[in-house]
Amino acid sequence: MKTAQEMKPNSVALIDGQPWLIQKAEFTKSGRNSAIVKMKLRNLLTGSSTETVYKADDKLEPVILDRIDVTYSYYSEPNYVFMDEEFNQYELNKEDLESVLPYIVDGMTDVCEAVFFEGKVVSVDLPTTIVRQITYTEGSARGDTSGKVMKPAKLSNGTEVKVADFCEIDDWIEIDTRTGEYKSRAKAPV
Amino acid sequence: MKWDIFCSVVDNFGDIGVTWRLARQLVAEHAVAVRLWVDDLSAFARICPAVDPRLDSQVQHGVAIHAWHGQWTAIEPGDVVVEGFACHLPDAYVAAMAAREPKPLWLNLEYLSAEKWVGGCHGLPSMQSNGLQKYFFFPGFTGQTGGLLRETGLMAERHAFQADAGTAARFWRELAVEPVAGARLISLFAYENAALGSWLDGLAAMQSTTQLLVPEGRILKDVERWLGGPQLRAGDCRVRGQLQVNVLPFLEQSQYDRLLWSCDFNAVRGEDSFLRAQWAGRPMLWHIYPQEEGAHWDKLDAFLQLYSQGLSAPAREALLALWRDWNGGQMMTQSWSLWQEQAEELTVHAEKWCLEQASRTDLAAALVQFQQNWI
Repeated sequence: MKTAQEMKPNSVALIDGQPWLIQKAEFTKSGRNSAIVKMKLRNLLTGSSTETVYKADDKLEPVILDRIDVTYSYYSEPNYVFMDEEFNQYELNKEDLESVLPYIVDGMTDVCEAVFFEGKVVSVDLPTTIVRQITYTEGSARGDTSGKVMKPAKLSNGTEVKVADFCEIDDWIEIDTRTGEYKSRAKAPV
Repeated sequence: MKWDIFCSVVDNFGDIGVTWRLARQLVAEHAVAVRLWVDDLSAFARICPAVDPRLDSQVQHGVAIHAWHGQWTAIEPGDVVVEGFACHLPDAYVAAMAAREPKPLWLNLEYLSAEKWVGGCHGLPSMQSNGLQKYFFFPGFTGQTGGLLRETGLMAERHAFQADAGTAARFWRELAVEPVAGARLISLFAYENAALGSWLDGLAAMQSTTQLLVPEGRILKDVERWLGGPQLRAGDCRVRGQLQVNVLPFLEQSQYDRLLWSCDFNAVRGEDSFLRAQWAGRPMLWHIYPQEEGAHWDKLDAFLQLYSQGLSAPAREALLALWRDWNGGQMMTQSWSLWQEQAEELTVHAEKWCLEQASRTDLAAALVQFQQNWI
């Protein structure tokens, strides 16, 4: 068993006999309220989605899932197609990819993990850190070089992230895919 | 319809204060049978002296009160089960809930907060592996939450009390307090607070007289230290400069309400007195329950953001400065002076806020409605 707080997006919990994919998990703690985790879940058998909330220390039963390395190949409406080393293709729709969709861009070379439940692909995990290029951001407003002042920036797929004030258009940046937060400037991928 | 409400007294009187009010109101206004399970009847007896801590079960105000012992005796669960403030229900009781047909509605009643995330979590299910349906229920100040505890006749009762000088005079006599003519009345109920001395210095140095009414509680030692005299007890009256301090006994809930209604300004703490001060329609100062790593500041700021809407910039700044100094244990001299300059607007605002909140569905009614919709 794992606590609700330990269950991360793209993991699966068995609840009342049903496998539920955790698409989103938001932890909150404030004042005297018990720490809670709000989750968006999708039933892997019926496809239905629901929002639910747990005390952070509530126990959930994790399901061990099979995983294989894949890379993003192309988009064929309505599916995103991933491919493994043996050129097997795996199709997922945007509901399956909710937590990773903001970082899917054409030509990406990140090695991802396709996640399987009972032989069926149910989601994809990105690496913890990815590198993406800024396609638009305003100029530095305050000349800050500390990295503490943040401003919005857009990636090529339209995703908006907060980046350090000194970042410029065409810069490459590292993003933490667990939090969606900017980590640092980076070199362009080779 | 039978409801079971569970209350684990963590510390102080907030948990039992809220669950006791809820239990009473459900019985009085919604005709449901309520069993209130409490793990510390001694704490309960402080706010409701009629409760006998030695009894395993008793009835007060129509509520069946039960001592909640470590060793649980099997009982048939109610139709609705409320776990107060995420307390852990006995495993055997949860098993009995799962075995019951029809299954009960299980609600986790959380603490009051003005934070935005509350609206996004209120009423959401917490899917269980035993077939039970559990939901999180959040009190709050907006339409996206479960509302606030408020008895149906509370506003009328308060207005009648405040309009009748004779009733107020009788109340002071009951407390054995002689009101000082023309004095500003302030009630003080707080946790230990390093800011107190500077505030009392400011009150004592004012040109007008202040009468400070302090029910027995954790702040009394700080008052005692500031006065520099012998130990304070209920009934004591001390004067320093323009400040007269009257020490009151610990008050049961209805008496405490009347104290809040009688004062021009109320310093309150935690959750229950914080809410009751809002229903008094008078300016207040909230000492929020302090948390490790300062987790309470977000909660304080969220309330201030909501509460200060509609205030002029100077009044808002004065309010924020006073509350932040008080909760940060900082010198209050300047912020109290600023607050005084804005007192008139802040006093009008307190009544406006009260009436606005009183126009919303109250918590007990919202719980009953939730249960009816669930069926």
